[in-house]
Parts: sequence; C-alpha cells; structure tokens
Amino acid sequence: MRPVRQFLRSPEGVAGLLMIVLLATAALTAPVVFPGDPLAIRGPALLPPFADAAFPLGTDRLGRDVLAGLMHGARASLAVGIAAASVAIFVGALVGTLAGFAGGLVDEALMRVVDAFQIVPGFLLALAFVSVSGASLPVVILAIALGAWTGPARLARAEVLSIRERDYVAAARVIGMHPMEIALREVLPNALPPVLALSSVIVAGAVLTEAALSFLGLGDPNIVTWGSMIAEGRNVLRSAPFLSIIPGIGLVVAVLGVYLLSEGLSEAIAGRRSRA
Amino acid sequence: MTRFPLSRRRLLTSTALLLASAGLPARALAQDGKRLVVAADSEPKNLNPAIVASNGVFFIASKVIEPLAEASFAGPDGLEPRLATAWEGSADGRSVTFTLREGVTWHDRKPFTSADVAFSALEVWKKLQNLGRLVFANLEAVETPDERTAVFKFSVPTPFQLIRNALPVVTSVLPRHLYEGTDIEANPANASLVGTGPFKFAEHKPGEYYRLEKNQDYWGEGQPKLDEIVFRVLPDRAAAAGALEADEIQLAAFSQVPLADLERISKVEGIEVYSKGYEALTYQLVVEINHRRKELADLKVRQAIAHAIDRDFVVKTIFLGYAVPSTGIVPKNAPEFYEAGVTTYAFDPARANALLDEAGYKRAGNGTRFSLKLLPAPYFSETRQFGDYLRQALAAIGIDAEIVNNDAAAHQKAVYTDHDFDLAVAPPVFRGDPAISTTILVKGGVPAGVPFSNQGGYANPAIDEIIEKANKTVDVAARTDLFRQFQKLVAEDLPLINVAEWGFITVARTSVKNVSSNPRWAVSNWADTDLES
Amino acid sequence: MRRAFLLLRRRLITSIPVLLIVVIGTFFLLEAAPGDAVDAYLLSIGGGDPALVAGLRESYGLDRSAWARLAAYLMALLRLDLGWSVLFGRPILDVVMERLPATLWLMGSAVALSFSLGSALGVVSGARPGSAADRLLSVGSLTLYAVPSFWLGLVLSVIFGVQLRWLPTAGLESIASGKQGFERALDIARHLVLPVAALGFIYMALFLRMMRAGMAEAWRQDFALAARARGLARRRIVLRHVARNALLPLVTMLGLQAASMLGGSVVIESVFAIPGFGRLAQEAVAGRDAALLIGIILVSAVLVIAVNLVVDVVYAVLDPRVGASEPAT
Repeated sequence: MRPVRQFLRSPEGVAGLLMIVLLATAALTAPVVFPGDPLAIRGPALLPPFADAAFPLGTDRLGRDVLAGLMHGARASLAVGIAAASVAIFVGALVGTLAGFAGGLVDEALMRVVDAFQIVPGFLLALAFVSVSGASLPVVILAIALGAWTGPARLARAEVLSIRERDYVAAARVIGMHPMEIALREVLPNALPPVLALSSVIVAGAVLTEAALSFLGLGDPNIVTWGSMIAEGRNVLRSAPFLSIIPGIGLVVAVLGVYLLSEGLSEAIAGRRSRA
Repeated sequence: MTRFPLSRRRLLTSTALLLASAGLPARALAQDGKRLVVAADSEPKNLNPAIVASNGVFFIASKVIEPLAEASFAGPDGLEPRLATAWEGSADGRSVTFTLREGVTWHDRKPFTSADVAFSALEVWKKLQNLGRLVFANLEAVETPDERTAVFKFSVPTPFQLIRNALPVVTSVLPRHLYEGTDIEANPANASLVGTGPFKFAEHKPGEYYRLEKNQDYWGEGQPKLDEIVFRVLPDRAAAAGALEADEIQLAAFSQVPLADLERISKVEGIEVYSKGYEALTYQLVVEINHRRKELADLKVRQAIAHAIDRDFVVKTIFLGYAVPSTGIVPKNAPEFYEAGVTTYAFDPARANALLDEAGYKRAGNGTRFSLKLLPAPYFSETRQFGDYLRQALAAIGIDAEIVNNDAAAHQKAVYTDHDFDLAVAPPVFRGDPAISTTILVKGGVPAGVPFSNQGGYANPAIDEIIEKANKTVDVAARTDLFRQFQKLVAEDLPLINVAEWGFITVARTSVKNVSSNPRWAVSNWADTDLES
Repeated sequence: MRRAFLLLRRRLITSIPVLLIVVIGTFFLLEAAPGDAVDAYLLSIGGGDPALVAGLRESYGLDRSAWARLAAYLMALLRLDLGWSVLFGRPILDVVMERLPATLWLMGSAVALSFSLGSALGVVSGARPGSAADRLLSVGSLTLYAVPSFWLGLVLSVIFGVQLRWLPTAGLESIASGKQGFERALDIARHLVLPVAALGFIYMALFLRMMRAGMAEAWRQDFALAARARGLARRRIVLRHVARNALLPLVTMLGLQAASMLGGSVVIESVFAIPGFGRLAQEAVAGRDAALLIGIILVSAVLVIAVNLVVDVVYAVLDPRVGASEPAT
C-alpha cells in the first residue's frame, strides 16, 4: 500500500491520473453519449461555444458538433497513440531481443537497420510513407511506429545483453532448451519491463505526430481526431479560434496527463525501492 | 571515373554556395519604387505558358509573355486586343487572319513579327501545349505575307468560334529567335522567360519568390504602372491572411485567403475583398461517377444521388455564398453556350430513397443499401469539404461512402489511370468553349491516363456524335445550338453530377488599384495595376 | 587524440552500410507509391494526351525497371552524383545544397535555444527538487511540449507578426532588400525569431526534464553527499558538481534529438514559408521525385551522423573521467 500512498502524495501524479481518467471516460462513453457518426452535420455552421444548449461547445465549418468531435476524437487519438506505441514496442522488443540474443553478424545487421531508422528524421519518414500509401488509419499508425520503434529496440537489446549472462539463462542452455525458446521464454519477459516503461512517452509522441500529419492533410478523413479538428480549425484561426483551441486543449491534457502520471508512478516505485 | 571531376566541382560549388550564403550580397533595389508583393501558393518549375496552359503558370507568366488577345468585360466577343489588333475567320473555316500590333519589341530588344506567331503556333501550340494540341490539331500552315499579318491555314474546317474563345488561353507568343532549332521543352528560357509583356522576368529564388521588373519599352502607353512584382511563395494557406494584414504582401488571389476568413478580413482597415475578375476562369464542382460499378450504371441510382445533394447547403456553407448552384455541364458564366432548360434535380431525399428502392437496392438491417468508395480531389479545401458533406448526404439515403484521402499525384493515378474509385469529386475548369473543357468529361473512348477526362467508363453514342459534329461546324449559331442540345442530353443521362460553380476571391490592400478589371484578371498582364502609397 | 581519431574512423565506416540501407529503403518506398513524377507533372499542367505521357516517361527513364534504375542510381552515388531532379530540372545536389542553409539556421538556432534555456531552467529546477519553482517549471515546460508545434507557430505569428507587427511572419529574409553584412544578419535574425521560438520551446521541455532528472540522480551520488558533508555552499555544489554531471546525458540527448528536430522543422517551415529541407521534402513527395527525396533523406542522414560525431567529441571533453586526469578542475 505504501507506493499508493506515496503516489497520492505527489500532486502532479494525482493531477495526471485525474486527466487520464477524464480522457478515458470521454473516450469510452463517446459512442453512448453521442451515438452515430461524429462527422455528421447536425446544425448551423460556426456556432460559437455556450451559445446553444444543444451544442455546448459550438459547431464547426460544416455544422458538426464540436463536443461530439472532441469526445470521439479522444477515442481515436488515444487509439492511434496506443496502437502505434504497441506496434513500436512489439517490433522494437522483438528486434532488440533477437539482436541481443543472437549476437554476432545478426546483431550487427539488425543494429545497422536500427541505426538507419534512427538517423532518418522520423517525421520525414512518416510523411513520405503516408503520402505514398494513402492516408488511412492503419497506414498512419504504421507510419508513426516506423519512427518510434528504435528506442525500444536499443533498450531491449541492452537488457538482453545483461540478462543472457545470468544464471537462469545458463541453466536453460544446460538443459538443452532451443535458443529461440530461451530468447522468447526466458529472456524477453525479463527484458520487457524497462521497455514498457517507455510506452507512455511513445504514446504521447504518437498523439502529437498524428496531429502534425493531420495538419499537413495526411490524416484518415473517415474518422475524427484532435489533429484533424485542429487542422480544420486553423483556416478560421482568427475568426473562430475555439475550433482549434478546444481540440488543442484535449491534446495538451492527454500528453500532460500521460507524462505526469508516468512520472508520479515511477517516483512512487523508486520511493519504494529506495526504502526497501 | 570521367565524370568524377564534374561531380566534385558540383559539390565544391554547392559547398561554396552554402558558405557564402551568409555573406552574399543580395541584389539591390530602388526601395522607393512601386513594388507589389503577391502571395503564390504553388511554384511552377516550367513557367512557359505556351507549353503549359495552366492557371498556376499564367498567374506569373502572363505578366511577361502575352497572348494574341485577352478576355474583356466590354470588348466585342468578350475579347480585347493584345499582340493581335484584329482577327477574322474565313467562311469555310479553313483560315483565320490575324493583324499584329506594330512597334512591339521583345525584352531582349529584338522586334516582334509575324514569324514569331507562325513559329509559336506550328512548333509549340500545336505540338507541345496541352490545350493547343486540341485547338490547332488541324493547323497545316501559317502564312506570313508581311511582318504584321499571320494567316492560319487549317486542313479541315475548324470553327472560328472555338479559336476565338481559346485565344486568351492557348496563344502565348514565344520569341522565335530564342527557341528555333533548340529543344523547346528544355530551353532555359522556359524558366527565365523572355516575352513582350509589361514586366520582365528578373529572378526566381526557389522556395522564396519570383521577381518581375518593369519593362520600360512596353508598347502600352504609360504602362506598366508598377516597378516590380514579387510573387512570394506561401505554401500554407492560413499564412496569406496574416501576411496581408501585416502588409508583408499586398495581394492574394485564387482564394489564398480561406473563404471562412473573408468576413473577418473584409472588416480590417485597408483591406478589400474582390469576387470579380474570375468570370472566364469558372471552376465547376463535379461528382465523377464510375459507370463500371453496376449500381452506378443504373440511371435511377445516379438520379437518386443527384437528388440527395443539397446544392444550397453546398453554396451557403462550403462556399459561404461565393458560388452558384449548377444546373448542368456548362456554367452560367458562359452565356454564349449556357442552356437553362435542362432536367434539374432538386434536393429531395425522400424521392432519392424512393428511386433507390425502385432500382431494387433495399436497405439492409443496418440501414445501408450498398457501399461506395469516394475520392475527393485534394486540390482545394472546398473539394475536400464537399467530400465530407457528400459522405453525409449519401448516408442519409442509405449509401455508405468511404472517403479515400490521397495526395494530388495519387488521386490522379487512382481516378484517371487505375479507375480505382466509385465516386470522385473533381474541380474541372471551364475554358471559354465546351470543345476544350467540359466535353472531355463525358466523351467516350478517352484512353486511360488522360487527366481530367472521362475515366468513368461512360459512353453514349448520341453525346459523342454531337461533340464530333460541333467540332466540325463552322457556323456559330449551329455550333452553339449543338452545344445546347449536348447540355440537355447530359443533364438527362447524368454521366456526372454538376453541383456548383465558382470563381475565386482576390483579397488586396486598398492601396492596390485596378484590381479585377477583366474576366481573367489574376492571369492577365496587370499592365494598368497600380500601387498608391 | 588517437582515441578520437579511431572513434571517428569507426563511426564513418559503420555509417556506410547504414546509409546504404537508407537509400535502398527510401527507393523502394517511393517505388511502391501510386503515381510517378510524370503523373505529378501532368497534374501541374492541367492534363495532356497519352502520347505526351509516354514521351515524358521515356525521356526521364521512368520506363525502365526499378532494379535498373536503382543500380544506375547507386553507381552515380559512388561518384558523389545525387542525380537529376525531374521536378526542378536541375542536379539534385544543387537543389539540396541551396536549401541546406535555411534549415541549418533554423535547426541550429532552435537547438541552441532549447539546449541553453532547457538546461539552465533544468538547473534551477533540479537545484531544489520538489520546490515550487521546480514544479512550476516542470509542468509549464511539459505543457509547452504538449502543444503541437504548428499551432504554437500559427499563434505566435498571429500575435507577434500580425497584431503587434514586431516581427515578420514569413520567409528567411526580406525580398531583394539590398541589405548587406550586419544589416542583413539582423534581418535574417528577425525573421528567425518566431520559427525558432516555435520549434525551440517545444524541445526545451526535453532538455529541462533530462537535466532535472539527471540532477536528481546526481544529488544521491556519493560525491554530492561528500560535497554537502564538506559544507560546500549549495550554489557551488549545484553548478560545479551536480549540474556538470547531469549535463552529460543531455549532450547525448542532443545527438539523439537531431533527427527528430530535423523532422519537426518540416511543419514549422511550412507555417513560416521557410525554404528549407522540410519544404523541399514535401515538394519532392508531392512531385513524386524519388531521386530528390532520397537525396534529401540521405543528406539529412549525413547531417545527423555529423551532429552525432560532434556530440561524441563534446562528450569526450565533458566526461569527468577525462577531466579527472587534467590538472586543476
């Protein structure tokens, strides 16, 4: 119970937790509160916020409900972020584990590929990839993951290198387990936790990258994300600033929440460790 | 190995360029001169309007290279003279005689003569230009009895009406002495233009600007008024409005300031909004249909889609009133050809639903009749927004449309080469005569890969016959009548759906004078445009 | 010296296969794209007929197989020839080098801003972890980090460029102004303020947080405890011992972030109409100029490698283990 108490003593951590809970609630309840397509045209265009009870946050250029967009956008933006982070961590951990475990030429080759991805500006790569493949949800997720998987790969490899010399791995080898089995069964699970700790940073980065891609007109037009809302709103930045400010706040809350929460958690865990 | 020194030199010069970038003196300019700074959202690499007849090129090149005649609000047949002072077609449609202006010199001081026109027509317009290839397909020879006369000879009768209507777009005259005997498409003068226009091409800094300077020897009395025009490359459309307000630029044409921002900016002190000056550059908002889809090959389904679109909503909300609803394939802005008496499709979702039921496409359990792939052209924010709207309008009649968001090159390929679409939103431009614009959208037998043409697999012998006949009809009244019949046929059979037609908006500082003074103003020569300090 | 040289050589040798992977990967990415340079060109001229299309493809060599084109490209690359840009009708090296200065100015200034401001505020923050100043800075910088750069850029330009008219909203310098020397430098600096702020503020948070975390770690280390036990002034401990140790990972971070900042400048260049790499990359993708895009990505990869080399050297200078052998620290 101590880490929980420790966590609750950090105001940033609690604030982060509240933000994430709020967003998660919005994301999960969106289809219930606003059933149907959030892109549907519901009312007069460019209604300012708080002017009409039916549209508490106003409407956009085509008369779509901004609140519905915001809540469905939370769903889509977080989904994109989490999906991209999962792909990045999965691929990264796999490549890193293989490289670290196999060593030698395989390691060398795989790490050169990691290097190649690391020296190419990730956003440039995402931009090229989406332009080329056409903007759809899976493509956007993959494009974001392309620029994010090298971090987990390097970390996983470093972990594996330290783990593979440990006793239980040696023991597994002695009892004649297949190297692949050792890698996936014994090494990977132990190398994973520090890699997973990266996930919050990757999710936050992915949400921002999606927004930037949407800004350049490279988002999926069939779903609403905060990025696409900001991109739409920027043409009327001066006459209807709320259209880009409201989803912008959503973005800030999400990224801030993820960071604060992960910081609070790591502090709480570190606190426990230092006491133990 | 042999090329290594060259490459190394290239590398060295480039590096030197980089190092020198901090110390390189920029070209001096008389700061007291009248400099007009204009926003440009694209940066054409080939600036030659005689080869590339597109508005992006004309926007810049029209100030340097002039056509034989320009569009006009007041002139006879909607034209006013430029390099030609008179033009006349023969009764048999086999020749057109141009009388050329006297005392015109090229920017390199060589005289302008009928030989320049003959060379441009035969070697450039007829062979290389995207539109000239159609208009001058049967041009056989250009006779030049004297320096001021050029007689175009056609092997088969060619309607003078078509030539006349095409004059502003297809007849940019190039200097023969710079192009003859060279690879015309690779000529350096395509990037560094030499013409007869009121402005001389000065420089192009890639990614930054094009600069034009006053032509002191221009034939127009007391023209041009400006000393310099700078086209500032501003790729982000939201940036133009800010730059105008900060007086960093004085003019933004082609709706570079987003429509939604016009109401606000029109109230800003010192800024004026012009909706005139694009009458001869009417863009049409069109739903292209792939007739290979069995549902869409059914006329009832096409009618249902036409009834599902609320044109008033499109005009009011997407175009904020800066457009008019379309009735057919020829825009109202072309009164010479426009036919009002065509079948129209009022906004009527109930009727649309009934038509779909009749056609046998009942709603399934989830309320959907069938699914479609919708590709809005990415060139304008309005085409994209209309795509978003159309998806909703179709949902209301039980058609589930999935929007595919492509960039320009991919859209081009998907629609016009691969036919990988069911519905597409396109913004074709009406170029003064149906023969060089709208007809290609419905004509059968166009090979795959021709952009902005009928790639929906539609073929209607009756329509093709009229188009064919009009191309050979010399008599103006008879030809016009054919195009009126053509409009009726198209509206009845709906090979595509015309939704709205629009011209662009120019926003300028009030200090800029004589804006929007002709129907192609943005792409005309700006000889009389002035700047008051 | 010898160690640095060996390090340098090893880095350069390992860079070659990496760059090769980059080239081949990019080539096939663009190969998979629907539409080629000719499609994009036709679009820009508003259409053409099939004969024109075929003629263009042949003249650009686009009718050859992908492998033949890749082989030709790699051979040319050996001669340091990046090829010919279909889009610009000029050698790619020229086109790329022309845009490099703008990007270097933007990135260099943004790095300087975010690194110096970030580490300075990080020191303030890390000097007393958990203090009010620390919390404020920490949350404040994170909020900035969470704002999309393009949005920050647009808002900054509306406030300082349009409404207050303090600074220009677009471009890298005044058009053909005739300014020279110091005057011109000042002109460029004025144009750079807003884009650099938009890009730099966002990365500032990273350095600030890194510095703060590093300092928090350093406080727990023996030398810091020893210094405190010796009764040294807190200010002296913070600057001489704790911050110095925390600076090392920051330098490494600089290398890692180089690629990311280069990517981030794409959007900023678009908002502020700066003719740099990012804009060029967008143009290359839109124009389907594969060779140009590969050229851009290759040159930016070389740039990132160069930054990392510099970082390695700086690291060696700053590393206390190196410093310990030197007299009088």
